[in-house]
Amino acid sequence: MTDETNARGAQGDNQVMIRLERLEKRYPGQERPAVAELTMEIPEGEIVILVGPSGCGKTTTLKMINRVIEPTSGRILLEGDDVTNADPDKLRRRMGYVIQQIGLFPHMTIAQNIALVPGLLNWDKRRIDLRVDELLDLVGMDPSDYRNRYPKELSGGQRQRVGVARALSADPPVMLMDEPFGAIDPITRDRLQNEFLRLQEEIKKTIVFVTHDIDEAIKMGDRIAILREESSIAQYDKPEHILSNPADSFVEDFIGRGASLKGLNLQRVRDVEFAHWPTANHTATRGEVLEALRRSDQGAVLLLDEQRRPRRWVDARDLDRTDKPLVETGLRPEAIVTGATTLLDTLNEMLKSRVACAIVADDSGAYVGAVDIDTIMESIQSMRAAAREQSRLLAGAEIGEVSS
Amino acid sequence: MNFLQDFATYLEFQSAELIQATIEHAGLVLVSIAIATVIGVGLGVAVYQTDRPAKISLAVVGTMLTIPSFALFGLLTEPFGLGATAAVIALVMYGLLPIVRNTVVGLRSVDPAVIESATGMGMNRWQRLARIELPLAWPIIITGVRVSTVITVGIAAIAAIINGPGLGKDIFRALARIGSPFAVYQALAPVLGIIFLGILFDVFFLVLRRLTTSRGLR
Repeated sequence: MTDETNARGAQGDNQVMIRLERLEKRYPGQERPAVAELTMEIPEGEIVILVGPSGCGKTTTLKMINRVIEPTSGRILLEGDDVTNADPDKLRRRMGYVIQQIGLFPHMTIAQNIALVPGLLNWDKRRIDLRVDELLDLVGMDPSDYRNRYPKELSGGQRQRVGVARALSADPPVMLMDEPFGAIDPITRDRLQNEFLRLQEEIKKTIVFVTHDIDEAIKMGDRIAILREESSIAQYDKPEHILSNPADSFVEDFIGRGASLKGLNLQRVRDVEFAHWPTANHTATRGEVLEALRRSDQGAVLLLDEQRRPRRWVDARDLDRTDKPLVETGLRPEAIVTGATTLLDTLNEMLKSRVACAIVADDSGAYVGAVDIDTIMESIQSMRAAAREQSRLLAGAEIGEVSS
Repeated sequence: MNFLQDFATYLEFQSAELIQATIEHAGLVLVSIAIATVIGVGLGVAVYQTDRPAKISLAVVGTMLTIPSFALFGLLTEPFGLGATAAVIALVMYGLLPIVRNTVVGLRSVDPAVIESATGMGMNRWQRLARIELPLAWPIIITGVRVSTVITVGIAAIAAIINGPGLGKDIFRALARIGSPFAVYQALAPVLGIIFLGILFDVFFLVLRRLTTSRGLR
């Protein structure tokens, strides 16, 4: 792979938003540079992940983009303009910035936190107020409830959402995120990651995202740059290519064993075929439900409400019980996912609720179909088969080289 | 009981003068503290980010507190003459340490993540200081001002020795006539006045701190 294709992360179809040219950072008194001559292009509208072992210079690289750390040499181009020597404060107002500790201003309300950058840019007050409410809505927090609260009154996950809203406040084209979900418990982190991906589908920002967690990188990234010491690029490519075709043994070690299983983080529910279960309206009579059950080869019927939202699983045994209305018998449907959920999260949902089948619902919560554990197992098997095939081909190629 | 009755009679007889002296005393303290706050916070802001200048500044203002007050008041009459000016300068010198120290400590205790995100959002040095760092350090700074005030209320009594205003005058008059029955009353009344002022200022600054600190920091 030549340096130039490495810098591009294999054919970018989008315009280049940020270009780093031979960017270098040396600290006085240290022999080796923290970042050595990094050249890299970040395409517009994508999430680019910088991932690597600790101390590889990924955070330094990120912080040189908005010049919170000033590069020793090299150039930074934003939308084609050389901003290496531009006014750093003006540059930073064009880039949202989210750090792991979030750094909300504790003496300001949530609204004041979000309004700060628009205020620096002299927006008028009405426009700022509208923007604050719009952003709180966007990150799923009711403005009338949260506008006047202080950061200490929020949970970690809520603070994270406000941090993202604050970074988006002046609608910057670029977002820089340094381990933004690093300090959050795994369950909340998962939810925030999913929310953020959904948000990105709407806002289409150019995002540079630093993490040390390869699983997070695979889940979040449109493109992943795996970095080794001095921030040198080991591989810069789409996640599926990195998983199926690691550039060298460093990348292989970094993505670890079970790379095929990690592929579950890439596949989403909408990519697989749904299973279909018999359904009935929750006001249906026992006779109607029994009829629906008989007509299918499944063991249970899913009761839906008027908006087709799942209410209850009932099976033949529940139908025999007459002491309670039908909707109060059976099981509450728990594992509910959407088309955008990854298969790994779907599997997690199943394990959490101890059922072998997850219900797929659309954005309004209406039933679309179901994914069962067999579907996920099939996906794993086909991924493993593909990986075996790949390594056989590679081994074959090596033998071929030796014999020729 | 006799003592208390006589003391009450004394207070009644002297009330106008005592009230006048108490007001003068409070004025002397407030003017000195206002000046000490401006200088102390300014100095703290100037040095908190550096290591050696901060240490040197704290050592200098700390040393000022160790100068015996009689000597300092006396020394200052040489350039400034007798009266209020020298008294204010001496009190400013005594009031600086808690204010400078708390300003440095307060500004240094601001969470680095908060400062980094302020920088990353495009706030310049002064915007950061005025809108983020000083408001966050404020509860600590105002506590320094409060401590300074309480120290100064006591020391201000000595200002009388160089003909400064305040409650000290009666104390020195009483010292001049030790042994006479009036001496005790004459000393006790200003001492009570000073204690009263001390408590008053203490409460004032506690309330001020509460009113001027963001609800998000409480």
